[in-house]
Amino acid sequence: MRESLREQVESYIYIGPFLLIFVLFIGFPFIYAFFLSFHRVTTLQDVFGGLEFVGFRNYIFILKDPRFHWALLVTAYYAILIIPMNIAFSLILASLMRVPFKLNSLMKTGFFLPFVLDAFVVGIVWTFLLSGRFGIITNLLRPLISEALYRQGFLGTPSTVMPSVATAMVLKGGGFGMVLYLAAMQNIPKEIYEAADIDGASGLKKFFYITFPLLKPVTTFMVITGLIGAISAFAEFYAMTGGGPTVFHFGMPQGMTKVTGLYLFDFIQSLRLGKAAALAFILLLITLSISLIYAKLQRK
Amino acid sequence: MLNYRGNRVKKIIVFLVSLGLLIVVLFPFVWMLYTAFKPPGTGLIFSLKTGLTLENFKKVLFEYNFLRYFKNSFIVAFFSATFSTLFAAMAAYAFAKKRFFMKNTLFWLFIASMMVPGLLYVIPQFLVVYKLRWMNTYQGMIVPHLANVFGLFILTQFAKEIPDSLIEAARIDGASDFKIFLFLMLPLMVPIVATVYLLNFQFHWSNFLWQLIVAQTDRMYTVPVGLAMFKNAHQEAYTLEMAASSLSIIPIAIIFVFAQRYFIEGITQGAVKG
Repeated sequence: MRESLREQVESYIYIGPFLLIFVLFIGFPFIYAFFLSFHRVTTLQDVFGGLEFVGFRNYIFILKDPRFHWALLVTAYYAILIIPMNIAFSLILASLMRVPFKLNSLMKTGFFLPFVLDAFVVGIVWTFLLSGRFGIITNLLRPLISEALYRQGFLGTPSTVMPSVATAMVLKGGGFGMVLYLAAMQNIPKEIYEAADIDGASGLKKFFYITFPLLKPVTTFMVITGLIGAISAFAEFYAMTGGGPTVFHFGMPQGMTKVTGLYLFDFIQSLRLGKAAALAFILLLITLSISLIYAKLQRK
Repeated sequence: MLNYRGNRVKKIIVFLVSLGLLIVVLFPFVWMLYTAFKPPGTGLIFSLKTGLTLENFKKVLFEYNFLRYFKNSFIVAFFSATFSTLFAAMAAYAFAKKRFFMKNTLFWLFIASMMVPGLLYVIPQFLVVYKLRWMNTYQGMIVPHLANVFGLFILTQFAKEIPDSLIEAARIDGASDFKIFLFLMLPLMVPIVATVYLLNFQFHWSNFLWQLIVAQTDRMYTVPVGLAMFKNAHQEAYTLEMAASSLSIIPIAIIFVFAQRYFIEGITQGAVKG
């Protein structure tokens, strides 16, 4: 009995620092964000006490805000672009890297490298490459693109801005999916392919009827993390577009890339923290329900 | 024989396609470095005749204070990685090898918190830091992220696989529990500790949004925050901008190339198990 009490105390000494930080900076903030979402916050002075209770008004404000509908729409657009692109690019890289050839491991390193770099800084670099008139990519593609696109650049033109950000982020992050798919491919038994060879299946058929279905868990993971990534995307848009360029929708000017992350940042910056918290919880609910639905569909 | 040749052709095609894609993936960074070494003001001239110079690096480091930002980034990443890895390793030891009150509940709570998008925490974390008067300080940038759940998770998985008999043997030899942790568990966990350390270092080196919120004066800016401010203040100073970007990217790239095994293993392990 004394021994076990000692073990208890010792254990809590080991988990103590972690637990303390967790409670103070993750556990408490989660609960406090929930509390804030039902209150009106305008200044920082009285955030711990003396806030006005407003019920669901913050939630209603956001759910009715046309800018929120727009943010959801462009975020969904971003997700629909980037998730399939990322899966396709990762699969292509994994299929290529699976073939043993010289310099193969060096190339893997090269493909993976951008994944560990700062999304904000990588975004800044891409902004430079894609800028109108002066960007190297804009100039390389000049014979193929319109004069207006050349002048405004890929990030200044509403129709090209989202595909450009998605492409930049897929090229940055594809190496991660590559590594996941490679690991999963190594677990597929060779016998399955041999059997398919005997049946005379072509390479593409083998890919679509054997490899891709067996990689489903990785693909599910990529879709769910891709959704969470799109809903919390911030640094890449802050660096590359700042939310622009401006287009007219829902009766007001909107940013073509004003995704939910940037919309939330506006509330934080203007210290409307009650609304920011309500928005964060709405986004959490959306993320969780999409993930659950997707996971359910996959199990069938 | 025919098959052998077919294989070689296939390998050559795969090699060429891969090389093409690799060039596309790495091109932005090559162009960034190239621009960073061009004479100031020639960022938009596409000619190899301009020659190469270190002028941009000198300017951003000394005139535009990036030396300071670099130091701040390093301090934040170093202390964050050190303490979050230490705390996670300590907790992992307890979770893997000890029994205590609420053990499973706590572990489940920690893991569940990973499902929540980071943006949700930002607001109240900001309030806590504000209330503690930690705005614009190193501790404000470091302390809120010292509970690294992902690290705890993979360290615990690893610690579980260390045989109990080793710990028993050490205990019989009279080692105190703290000694067992420090001189037995930690050394045995070195590979995975290194992974967690590197991932934490990289995370904090790039923790842009949080640093943007906490750092409020030039004195406390980190490299990405300094870069954001520089970009706002100096439109089209591209050679300087790319030099500053290089300063942010090069350290992580170098660490990655030398320790890629740890990076890739840690990230995939976490993804596969989580």
